[in-house]
Amino acid sequence: MSDPSRDEERRLVDRAKRDPREFGALYDRHFQQIYRFVYSRVREQTAAEDVTSEVFIKALKAMPRYQDTGRPFAAWLYQIAVNAIADRYRTLRPSQPLEDFHDLSVGGPPIEEQAAERDEIRRIWSIVEELPNQQRTALVLKFQEDMKIEDIAIAMGKTPGAVKLLIHRGVSRLREESGALRPSE
Amino acid sequence: MSGEMDPELYDILGDPELIRIARKLSSASAPEPPLDDAFKSALRRELMAEAWRETEGKNAWWRRVFAPAGLAWVGAAAMVVIVASVVLYTTNQPVSTGPFQLVITSPQKDSGSVALRDPILVSFNQPMDHQSTEAAVQITPATTVAFRWSDDKTLYVQPTSGNLAPNTQYLVTIGPGAKTQGGNQIDTPKTFTFVTQPTASPSALPSPSPKSNGFGQQLTTAYPPTGTTYPVVWSADSSTVYFVAAGGALESVPAKGGPTKTLVADGASLPAIAPEGDRLAYVRGGKIETLTLATGETAELAVTPAPTALGWVKDQLYWGTNEGVYQAGPSGPTRIATIPPPNDTTAILSIAPDGTHAAFGRDTSLFLLDIASGQTANLGQVGAGTTFQGWSPDGSRVVYNGLIADMSGRTVSALPTGDVSWSAQNEILLGSDTGLFTVRPDGTGLTKVADGTYSRPVWAPDSSTFVFLRDGLWVATAPTLAPAPAATDQALAVVNAFMQARKDGNSDRALLYLTDAGKAAYNTGNPPLIPLGDSGFKRFYVLYAEGDPSTPGSVRVAVRMVFGHGNVEQTTIEETLSLRRAQATDPFLVDAVTAAAPRDVTKGPQVVGMTITAPKIEVTFDSDLVPTSVSSITLQDSQGNVVDATVNYADRIVTFSGLRLKAGAHYRLVVLPSVVDVGSSHIVTEYDLDFVGPAPDATSGGVTPTAAVSPSPSPSPKPTAS
Repeated sequence: MSDPSRDEERRLVDRAKRDPREFGALYDRHFQQIYRFVYSRVREQTAAEDVTSEVFIKALKAMPRYQDTGRPFAAWLYQIAVNAIADRYRTLRPSQPLEDFHDLSVGGPPIEEQAAERDEIRRIWSIVEELPNQQRTALVLKFQEDMKIEDIAIAMGKTPGAVKLLIHRGVSRLREESGALRPSE
Repeated sequence: MSGEMDPELYDILGDPELIRIARKLSSASAPEPPLDDAFKSALRRELMAEAWRETEGKNAWWRRVFAPAGLAWVGAAAMVVIVASVVLYTTNQPVSTGPFQLVITSPQKDSGSVALRDPILVSFNQPMDHQSTEAAVQITPATTVAFRWSDDKTLYVQPTSGNLAPNTQYLVTIGPGAKTQGGNQIDTPKTFTFVTQPTASPSALPSPSPKSNGFGQQLTTAYPPTGTTYPVVWSADSSTVYFVAAGGALESVPAKGGPTKTLVADGASLPAIAPEGDRLAYVRGGKIETLTLATGETAELAVTPAPTALGWVKDQLYWGTNEGVYQAGPSGPTRIATIPPPNDTTAILSIAPDGTHAAFGRDTSLFLLDIASGQTANLGQVGAGTTFQGWSPDGSRVVYNGLIADMSGRTVSALPTGDVSWSAQNEILLGSDTGLFTVRPDGTGLTKVADGTYSRPVWAPDSSTFVFLRDGLWVATAPTLAPAPAATDQALAVVNAFMQARKDGNSDRALLYLTDAGKAAYNTGNPPLIPLGDSGFKRFYVLYAEGDPSTPGSVRVAVRMVFGHGNVEQTTIEETLSLRRAQATDPFLVDAVTAAAPRDVTKGPQVVGMTITAPKIEVTFDSDLVPTSVSSITLQDSQGNVVDATVNYADRIVTFSGLRLKAGAHYRLVVLPSVVDVGSSHIVTEYDLDFVGPAPDATSGGVTPTAAVSPSPSPSPKPTAS
């Protein structure tokens, strides 16, 4: 089965490569996810706006050089975003509490179990925040942005194997640093 | 986030504890962050302005000549030589008395879909005198504009109302008064035209990101067994899945995961659960056994011939054989429908949930059997190889070969390829070995949910989860359903496709969007299905679309067709289409049409869009109006009386508010020739547009003129050189 959304994206990208004024459609399509990702990393609205602006302006200027490698266009935008955030991280560290961003709602179990579940998830994500930058970025792109390994590799400028290693190390580190995090039976 | 496991991670993590932590990470979702819409819009404007600047730079002739970049230095050097040569040459020549060449261009020239927010851009090949050039600019339709220059050669013309008018062909003229900075004056007007998009559409929704390589949780590897497999069965409360494993063992597994439980050791087939969920029937040893789940008691019913399908209708057990459909009566099995012979290659495949019809196969053909009358309907071509894929939840539609048909066998809509499961919420899952999609029963809204293997999905009764086959039986949380578009939007999509087919001259395709009554209406030739004549069918656009309370479930759409030669638009014809659908999950079809007399395209303000809600009507014109003349625009009831309303005018839009329109009553918008635009033009004859009063609750959804996009992909023929 062909992927209509992917075909549509290719058409939009081709048009934007030929004529920058067509970039608006790509902006409309991807603004929300890029802004959400950026916000999740910088946790401050003004900073998120600054970085998001930088991402899309860089993307617009670089459109003529963009090569479709068969991966989603968003992977390239994430790549620009990852770099822009990295630049910003050199001087800035997010300070907003984790629970302000990650929606820790879980459905189904009794309220006591939900509370325990939320608490555990919150603790895991708080440890993610302490991971080395590369591991943290890989985990966010995988678990928050729900991206494929190959797309994360593009976004981070690494090989898929390196991304797998980062994720494995990151999750392993979470296990090591969360000794109290045992399965809730 | 689903909280369920992405198979891609199994390879990476391996260790169950790592997988558990990964699952926790996935279960925390990221809500939408605070967002200032003004920022989003401002950034878009900034990007578009940058894009314009880039385009200008890209189109510079010297850059084209000396591209690619590797030639830049050579080009620059050559430029120096050329410029120096030109300077030397011109300084040693007498002053030229020949005609100078002023080239005026615009990237928007001939475009069929200029965005409303874009300024009109005019490029000159030499520096222009601002004052005389601005004075020489004429915009038709009459539009009040502001000017902005970039580098003396590029002029941005921005309507002071902020946007261009929708659905409008603009004619831009640079008159003879325009001078270059060198003092040369153009002697003949330069013109170009373009057409704008429909009303500014809302920001495109971000397309949902497909889950990476799948999601879900494995329930068991005991299903599917090798050999014959029978579809899984959900419990009525969506908590349990029943399936027939190897050797005919009937087993159950909790939908949230857990150990399987064997209900019947062997020999079971064709499981079917009662709608109340209290009894599970199956065929075993040539008998139908009914297991009461609460007590574990089993009742047996000896039947011949052997059942080929089993199903429940309310609390009544039905089954089918190669001879017909049966139910258990007080005195034993009763045949309630008979399949016409021959019966040796025939078998009932499934009984509809409402018990009115059954599907049966004969050789490779598929038929519907009306249980009450015994009438049959053929699905697809006899002998063409036809696959039964299921029923709609109410049993009124059958799915086969990727088609949805009604009980007469008439095709209602088509689905993309995939294994079909139709939920109680009327969302269809399409599973395959490579991905999972959702689609609405009318064939629209195809959305990719996930990559990976999602074979033979089966919705849970509550539509919250579904099972599917990967390496075993898996369960996953159902994708969030995209809200179904408003009925008017669905109707507009049909109108758009119907009109495009007519514009393409493709009558076969256009007929697909007509009911029998609609075909009869166009068969009269007035209006013609495929407009013919001296003038070409240039474009079309929707003036309004509204639910019609006088005929529940129907939508009225007024569409204007524009005819002309080259870039000259000459006449328009308006049709009001009435669209209906047999039931809410079917696509709309055009059922009736009324056509107005052709109108010549003349100067003067034209209505290019109208939104209709119960308390307020907005009428969009293509030109800026003289405000005092707006009083000549009225709403009238069916008796010709003017409807009381508060009338306001701003930015080409006349607003009638404080209305108390009666649902389903007929009204008319009347534009008199005394309405004047800022160019002092007026229409020659009165313009009328009929509509009906919307339902009282149609506060905002009465009209969505954005959905039907005029045929922008097919640009108008090149106009004659200006």
